[in-house]
Amino acid sequence: MVKLYVHTVPPPDLNKNTEWFMYPGVWTTYIFILFFSWLLVLSFFGCSAGMAWTVVNLFHFSVTYYFFHWKKGTPFAEDQGIYNNLTWWEQIDNGKQLTRNRKFLTVVPVVLYLIASHTTDYRHPMLFLNTLAVAVLVIAKFPNMHKVRIFGING
Amino acid sequence: MVRLPYVTALTTLFSYGLLFAFGQLRDFFRKIIDWFKSTSKDLKGYAPICLGLEDFYTRRLYLRIQDCFSRPIASAPDAWFDVVERYSKDNNKTLHRTSKTSKCLNLGSYNYLGFAAADEYCTPRVIESLKKYSPSTCSIRVDGGTTDLHTELEFLVARFVGKPAAITFGMGYVTNSAIIPVLIGKGGLIISDSLNHNSIVNGARGSGAAVRVFQHNNAPHLEEVLREQIAEGQPRTHRPWKKIIVIVEGIYSMEGELCQLPEIIAVCKKYKVYTYLDEAHSIGAVGKSGKGVCELLGVDPADVDIMMGTFTKSFGSCGGYIAASKEIVQYLKHACPAQLYATSMSPPAVQQVISALKVILGEDGSSRGAQKLAQIRENSNFFRSELKKMGFEVLGDNDSPVMPIMLYNPAKIPAFSRDCLKQNVAVVTVAFPATPLLLARARICISAAHSREDLLKGLEVISKVGDLVGIKYFPAEPPKHGHQAHKKVD
Repeated sequence: MVKLYVHTVPPPDLNKNTEWFMYPGVWTTYIFILFFSWLLVLSFFGCSAGMAWTVVNLFHFSVTYYFFHWKKGTPFAEDQGIYNNLTWWEQIDNGKQLTRNRKFLTVVPVVLYLIASHTTDYRHPMLFLNTLAVAVLVIAKFPNMHKVRIFGING
Repeated sequence: MVRLPYVTALTTLFSYGLLFAFGQLRDFFRKIIDWFKSTSKDLKGYAPICLGLEDFYTRRLYLRIQDCFSRPIASAPDAWFDVVERYSKDNNKTLHRTSKTSKCLNLGSYNYLGFAAADEYCTPRVIESLKKYSPSTCSIRVDGGTTDLHTELEFLVARFVGKPAAITFGMGYVTNSAIIPVLIGKGGLIISDSLNHNSIVNGARGSGAAVRVFQHNNAPHLEEVLREQIAEGQPRTHRPWKKIIVIVEGIYSMEGELCQLPEIIAVCKKYKVYTYLDEAHSIGAVGKSGKGVCELLGVDPADVDIMMGTFTKSFGSCGGYIAASKEIVQYLKHACPAQLYATSMSPPAVQQVISALKVILGEDGSSRGAQKLAQIRENSNFFRSELKKMGFEVLGDNDSPVMPIMLYNPAKIPAFSRDCLKQNVAVVTVAFPATPLLLARARICISAAHSREDLLKGLEVISKVGDLVGIKYFPAEPPKHGHQAHKKVD
């Protein structure tokens, strides 16, 4: 087993809630988790590959929407509440928009959508649910939506 | 710069993800159970003391391995000390002390020069001053708390460090967090290293100045940040900054690395910014005569504007000091709240520092100071090179007495700690949030009080436990023929 070594420097991000995302291996772990959960869904439900991808897509939508765009603040009391009004998405990279991490996280739901709709042959009702999921996620990640609260929900 | 195998990075992220998922699951069920059980009406209408989210890390991750941290000890922290044994009946939520202790090798105390236990020169003098001055001055510095011991200590510290004047405080953490707000306020800029200690971060936040961070030990990045900030000026008004201070540490306690002081001072001089050096771990422990990083790296102390240090690590006492020019120290004496409202240092503690300084300087009439300094340098270099030969990932520069061994995976932290304790070696393991998330480590602090046998025993135990836990990430060097490797060539 060949051991590849990576170098890492401690990232200059003071926010402990988001600095874990700047390490090597995070993107790969994310993709692996999605792939393995697809295999898990296939083995539990015994459904077609397309249905499994739809289930993964919807589950991914609910989990990432909740943790990235709904939950605010940090799980550490030492931050003394400076990030209490910011969701995780607004906190990463110190609020800078259009960084590599943000671009990657925006592309992942779109790729999942393409895979899910292709494997279900663009049939309803899966197509409608998948489109809804990807639309909400991608719009939530636009730079113009930084710190915007529609109708004051979650403000 | 830390090297780790790619697979380890993936597994560490996956483990943290799993722990996070289970923590959320447990919180979810706890919320449901509590919603059914909440019949108490007394606290209705009151806001909860802490948001459920804030102490998630403490409740779900830290409490599971609580027995690896805050272990009580029952003797002075010498090279060998007694660790109190504890047990838990509810899976580490509460720990109970027993009356049994076990004698363990101390690889965790900041006892760099061996002054933590009874010393033949210091202890009689400390007991004498305890009888003469009593344990506490019971007053603040400006009222009645300045004894002749305090003034003697300030002169001695200033002479030792190489600055015109010095001022001392009762607590090391407070020295940073109470001084920085006095030196700089709103309209100023603090540029601090990304791995600075929490006391500096607190002081910077409390000062009201703008805070920017530069990449750890990276003088070109510091220059880039400085240029950008000086060009932009204050946020919104773009007026020039009133004052800019750069804060760095001598030895970073979590990495064991030395600061790149000459390059950073050169950058600061070029842009005319003030420098603040925190020598908590390096004063007394590095340098030919123990005078800290300035001596080791060849920097003139007059080039650093403010030098801060603590007496807790190398001198076996408690408290901190600031050494700077006479004008700054005079200003601090009148303006710093730690002088005006906090009790002064305890006189026996002051006497301990004075005696320790005299031993280091050689003014007690023996060469024990020089022996201790040579011993700690030899011990650290030997230990570090042996660990590296075994295949561990060890951070830190040569000559630094702090060496972190990288663990990475969250499950290896309690495994390493508990297995070492079973074999009577006490190590300190550090995890998130004191270190970055992926880079959990076991931090070894070498002392001049460790003899060669102690170090060999420590190496043997760490090697065995390292094999068991699986942290030898690099191929071990094969032992050289015969015992030539252990002969010290000097």
